[in-house]
Amino acid sequence: MTAPSSELESHLSGSSMEPEKAAGGDVASKSPMRLAMGRLRRDKLSMISLFVVLLVVLAAIAAPFLVKWGVLDPYTLHNSGKDNLLDEFTLPKGSWGGISKEHPLGVEPQAGRDAMSRFWYGITFSLLIALTASLMAVALGTVLGIIAGFSRGWVDALIGRVIDLTLSFPQTLMLLALAAIGLQFIKQVTPLEGSAAEAGYAVAVLAVFGWPQTARVVRGQVLSIREREFVDAAVLLGASRRRIYFREILPNLWAPLLVLFTLSMPAYVSAEAALSYLGVSVKPPTPTLGNVLRDSLQYATADPVYFFVPAILIAVIVISFNLLGDGLRDALDPKGNR
Amino acid sequence: MLKKRARFLALGSAGLLATSLGLAACGSGDDSGSNFDGLILVSETPIDHLDPQRIYVGADIASLSRLVYRQLVAYPIKDGDGLPVPDLATDTGTSAKGGREWSFTVKDGVKWEDGSPITCEDFKYGASRNFAVDEITGGPGTAYIVPRLAIPKKADGSSQYEGPYTKKGQELFDKAVTCNGNTITYRFTDPWADFPLAVASLHMMDPYKESFDKGAKNDDVIFSNGPYKVKDWDTKKGGTFERNPEYDPATDTPDTLRQAKPDAIKYKYGEKAETLYERIINDTGDAKNTVSAQRRVPPSMFNQLQDVKDRYVQVDSPYVDYLVPNQSRLKNPLVRKALAVSTNINAWIAAGGGERAYKPADSIVNPSVQGYVPNPAFKDHNLDGDVAQAKKLLAQSGEKLPIAIKFSYPQTDSADKQAAAIADTWKQAGFNVTLDPLGEEYYSKIQKPGNDSDVMWGGWGADWPSATTVTAALFDSRQINKGSTGQNYGQYKSAKVDGLFDKAIAAPTLDEQTKFLQEADAQLGADVAYIPLEISIFNWVYGSNVVDFATSSASNSFVELGPIDVKK
Repeated sequence: MTAPSSELESHLSGSSMEPEKAAGGDVASKSPMRLAMGRLRRDKLSMISLFVVLLVVLAAIAAPFLVKWGVLDPYTLHNSGKDNLLDEFTLPKGSWGGISKEHPLGVEPQAGRDAMSRFWYGITFSLLIALTASLMAVALGTVLGIIAGFSRGWVDALIGRVIDLTLSFPQTLMLLALAAIGLQFIKQVTPLEGSAAEAGYAVAVLAVFGWPQTARVVRGQVLSIREREFVDAAVLLGASRRRIYFREILPNLWAPLLVLFTLSMPAYVSAEAALSYLGVSVKPPTPTLGNVLRDSLQYATADPVYFFVPAILIAVIVISFNLLGDGLRDALDPKGNR
Repeated sequence: MLKKRARFLALGSAGLLATSLGLAACGSGDDSGSNFDGLILVSETPIDHLDPQRIYVGADIASLSRLVYRQLVAYPIKDGDGLPVPDLATDTGTSAKGGREWSFTVKDGVKWEDGSPITCEDFKYGASRNFAVDEITGGPGTAYIVPRLAIPKKADGSSQYEGPYTKKGQELFDKAVTCNGNTITYRFTDPWADFPLAVASLHMMDPYKESFDKGAKNDDVIFSNGPYKVKDWDTKKGGTFERNPEYDPATDTPDTLRQAKPDAIKYKYGEKAETLYERIINDTGDAKNTVSAQRRVPPSMFNQLQDVKDRYVQVDSPYVDYLVPNQSRLKNPLVRKALAVSTNINAWIAAGGGERAYKPADSIVNPSVQGYVPNPAFKDHNLDGDVAQAKKLLAQSGEKLPIAIKFSYPQTDSADKQAAAIADTWKQAGFNVTLDPLGEEYYSKIQKPGNDSDVMWGGWGADWPSATTVTAALFDSRQINKGSTGQNYGQYKSAKVDGLFDKAIAAPTLDEQTKFLQEADAQLGADVAYIPLEISIFNWVYGSNVVDFATSSASNSFVELGPIDVKK
C-alpha cells in the first residue's frame, strides 16, 4: 500500500532533518516540486550553470555522430609527408597552436591530430565515465543506505563499518597498485577489451569508493522517514521489506539523491582526469579530458593554446555542475545550511 | 640490455609518476645544494645497481668507471680507434691459444679506498661473483662470463661452479681463472677475440675485495679504487662523492681516462625531465652546476633549445629502436613482409619529437658498432610506408583481410602518439591494429613464450662494440626456454642463423666474426625477424658553470665525466 499521494507530497522536501517543520508549511496550491523549480528559476547563477551543463551534455551526445560523419576527426595524423602541419620542433606550424579554418583550436604537437576534435570527443568519454560511475555509486549508496537506516541493529552496524572502512582506505595508492591486476580481472570476467576495459576499471574504482557518501546521507534521511506514520502503516499492513524500501521510502529521497548525483558528477569528472594523469584510466589514442590534459601539460610553455583549452574545459564543466548542484540543493531545501 | 633499461627509464613510466612527483618534492626541498660548488648530477630514478658485477645500465657504466670503479682496461675519454687502453692492468692484455686464454698484469701501487693494495686475487674474486647467479642478479656476467669461462656445465646448462658464497665447484673455477704473481689469466671454452672490449665496456670483470663482500646486501655500497669515494649516500635520494686520498694519479693516465677535476660530485634523484630542464634552461641557483645523468631534453622543450645554443649538445646514441613481429603468431612471411613495408617510419619519428629526437635506422646494428652495414632488406625502405606494395603482398599471402594484430609497447606520452602514428598505415594496408600500451610489466609480459602480442617494440645497444652483443644476443633461438623468451621476444628460430652466431662468436679474428654476423643479419632481414625504426638522438643541455661538457662512445652518449669541471 502506498501512502496517499497528498501525504507523500507533503513530505517531499525530505532533505530536511526536521520533517515536522517542513510539513508545517501551508502552501496548498503549489507542490513542493513546483516551489523548488520556481526558486531554482529565480537563481540566475543556477540557470546559467544549467544552461552550460545542458550544452556540455548535448555536445557530448553529438560528438560520436559528428565523428561518424567526419565533421570531427580525432584520429587522423598530420605529422609527416605532404600533410605535415608541424614545424621542425614538432610543434604546430603557425601562431596560436596552429589555429586554422580546418583546425579551429589548432593541432596536437608531435602527432598533428585536430585538437578540437580530441577535446570535444574527450568530453564524451569523460562524461560517460563520470555518469556511469555516479549512477552506480548513487544506486549502490541508496540501496545500502536504505537498508542500513531501516534495519537498525547489526545490519546497520555492519554497513556503517563497511562505510568507515571504505572511507579510510588509501584509495589512490591502492588503485594505482591494483591497476594492472584490476584491468586483467575486468578483461577476463567481462567481454570488455582495450579502452572499454580501462574505462570499466575507472568506473568500478570510482563507484566502489564513491558510494559511502550517498549511503551516509541516505541513511540519515531514512532514520527520520521510517518514524513516519505511512511507514508504520505499511509495516502493519504486512508489506514486504522490498516494498517498504523501494515503494515507501525511496520516493521520499529523490531530492537529496538529485543533489548528491549532481554534485558527484563534477567530482568524478575531475577524478577521471586525475586517474588519467596517473595513467590508470582510458589510454590514448582514445581521448578523454584527463589524458588529453595529461599530454598537454608538457606543452605549457611551448604550446599554451593546447595546454589551456582542456584545462579550461575541465574547470568549466566542474564549476557548472557544482553550481547547479548547489542551486538545486538551495532550491529543494531552502532552510538547509550551505 | 643497455638500451632496454635506458629507454624505459628515460621516458619514464606512467605508474611511477605519482612516486616521482613525490620524490621531486623532496629533491627540490633539499636546500643544502644551494651553496654546493661541485658538480651536480640529476636523474629521475636511482642508480639501478652500485655493485660493479651488477651494473648494466648504459648511463651508469661509464660514470662509475670515471669516478670510483677502475677496470683492467678502459675506454678513453676521447673516441679514437675504438680500442681500450690500460687502466689497472699494465697493458691491454695478451691472448694465447687462439684467443682461448687472456692474461693481464695488475699494476703495482694501485689501492682500494682503505689503503690496501688491489691484487690479482681481488680480480679473481670479482670474476667469481658472476657465478653467484641467485645473489648477484641483473648483471651482464650471467650472459657472458658464466657460459664462456672454461668451467663444465651441468645437464640443465647451468655452471657447475655456484659462486664464492657456497663455494660449490670452487676447484673448477680455480682452474679456469688463475693468478701467477700479479698476472691473472682467464681461460675460455671457445676463442673470445674481443674479450678486452667486453672488459672495458662492462664492470663484470672488476676487482672486488673479498673481506668487504656481503653479497646482495652490498648492492648500494661503493668500495672505491678511483679518484672519488662516497661521502654520504642514500639509496633513494642520492649522495655525494668526495676525493679519495688513497687514489694515486701516478698509477693512472688521468688525461686519457679520468681528469677528476671537481672537488665534489653530488647525485640527486627524483626530478622529472621537464622540471630538471626547466631549471637548467633558466639557469638559476644550483641548476648552474647541474647536468642530467640520464634523462634527455623532452621533445616538448625542443623549441627552447635555440635560446641556450652555447650549452646545448646533440649526439647520436649507440641504440637502435626496432619492432619485432611475433614469429609464433605471424607465421606467414608475406604478412610480416607487408607489415615491414607499410611501416611509416617518418610518422613514427615525427610523433616522437621529430628529427631532433631520431634518425631512421636501416639495421638493428648501430652504425657505431664495428662491422655495421645497412641490412639489404631495409636499405631501400620507403620511410613513409608503402601501402600499395603492402596491399599487394597481403593479397598474395592468401590470408583473410583484415588481419588482426596487437601492437605492444611501453607506455609514455610520446609512445602513445608514435603507436597511433605507426598503426595508421598498417590499417590502410589491411591490418586491424589494436594498441596495447603496457607499464612496468612490459618486458616481463613480452618475454613470456605464450604472449599474445603480434608486434612488439624493442630498443637495444651493443654491450661492447661488436655485433655479437646485438644480433646474437637478440635472435639466438637457444635462449628461449619454457619460462622466458630471453631477449628473443619474437621467438625467431633459425638453425642456420644460430649456426652463424656460433661461428661468429668462436671466430679467431674480428674480421671473420664480422663476416658471419653480416650474413646472419641479412638472413634476419629476409625473414623479417625485426623491423628497424630509428636511432635515438640525445639532446643535452647543462648549467652555465659546467665546463668541458662532453659525450663519448665510452659514455654511451650520456655525459662523459672524464674531463668535466665546474667554475667556482
